[in-house]
Amino acid sequence: MKSLLSHPHVVLITRIFLGLLFVVSSLDKIVDPAAFAHSVGNYKLLPSWLPLTIATILPWLELLCGFSLLFGLFIRGSSLIVSAMLIVFTFAVISGILRGLDIACGCFTQDPAAGKIGWMKVLQNSALIALSLFLYYSNSTRFTLLSYIQRSSLVGDPDR
Amino acid sequence: MIRLRQALREAWMLLIVGAALGFIYTSATEKGLFARGAPETSAQGLGPDARQMISRDEAWSIYQTGSALFVDSRHDFDFRAGHIKGALNAPLGVYELAKSPLKDVAKDRLLVVYCDGAECNSSIELAVRLMKDGFKNVRISFGGWREWVDANHPTEKTP
Repeated sequence: MKSLLSHPHVVLITRIFLGLLFVVSSLDKIVDPAAFAHSVGNYKLLPSWLPLTIATILPWLELLCGFSLLFGLFIRGSSLIVSAMLIVFTFAVISGILRGLDIACGCFTQDPAAGKIGWMKVLQNSALIALSLFLYYSNSTRFTLLSYIQRSSLVGDPDR
Repeated sequence: MIRLRQALREAWMLLIVGAALGFIYTSATEKGLFARGAPETSAQGLGPDARQMISRDEAWSIYQTGSALFVDSRHDFDFRAGHIKGALNAPLGVYELAKSPLKDVAKDRLLVVYCDGAECNSSIELAVRLMKDGFKNVRISFGGWREWVDANHPTEKTP
């Protein structure tokens, strides 16, 4: 496990996968915050003013975290946020299933035909949570923007 | 511990930048929170008038007059397993007016849309779509299929 956490290629692939997933799934929500707010409201977990506020902020946070994982800048912070978001989403889906809600997930796309919430979704999300926690604990800095910045500043500094 | 502190600091920064971008974008494009006028862009307003929501008894009395067309917004397998007698099936997930059985129905016909029951949204969403497609008299049976069955009102199955 320890060697996996510092394996540069495993970490890189995980970053690209999660990063792309979050960037792609944020786009639909950014373009149509009202539709996303509606999806959030369908879960009937929040007071009525909140879904629209969430729909304003959350998609952009997803986009930022996605890019941050892709480029390798603030990986710790973004994998922490991604894990937290996924955990909250998963609990929302579970509570929706348990209450027998017949609603679209609103997860990756706002198309209501894309799929209802179900245990498959919970399984998928659990896998994603595992991946983002893996990134949180990983310590490979190769192929990250941060390492390039640090390296070029070392080269440029004659005292070092 | 150092890891968590660093992570939290980065997370806060991302959150603040994300929120700022979100507010700037939605206000610049007048979407979401900053949408103007149109009530259907607000999350809770997205939907029909409260007067269009009818109770089981209202649905039943409309049914008895025979003037209304009942529209089932559930999946076709639910529909085949049992539906309100005489209802048409227009599953929300694949709804397109041109392909639905409602395409030849007069736009001023009284429609009563229903889905499983009070916990489902597809009847409301379908009603919104139908209104956008020009239907003028759309009602939503709030209690839906479950209350209809509980009350022993007429149902049928599609073989």
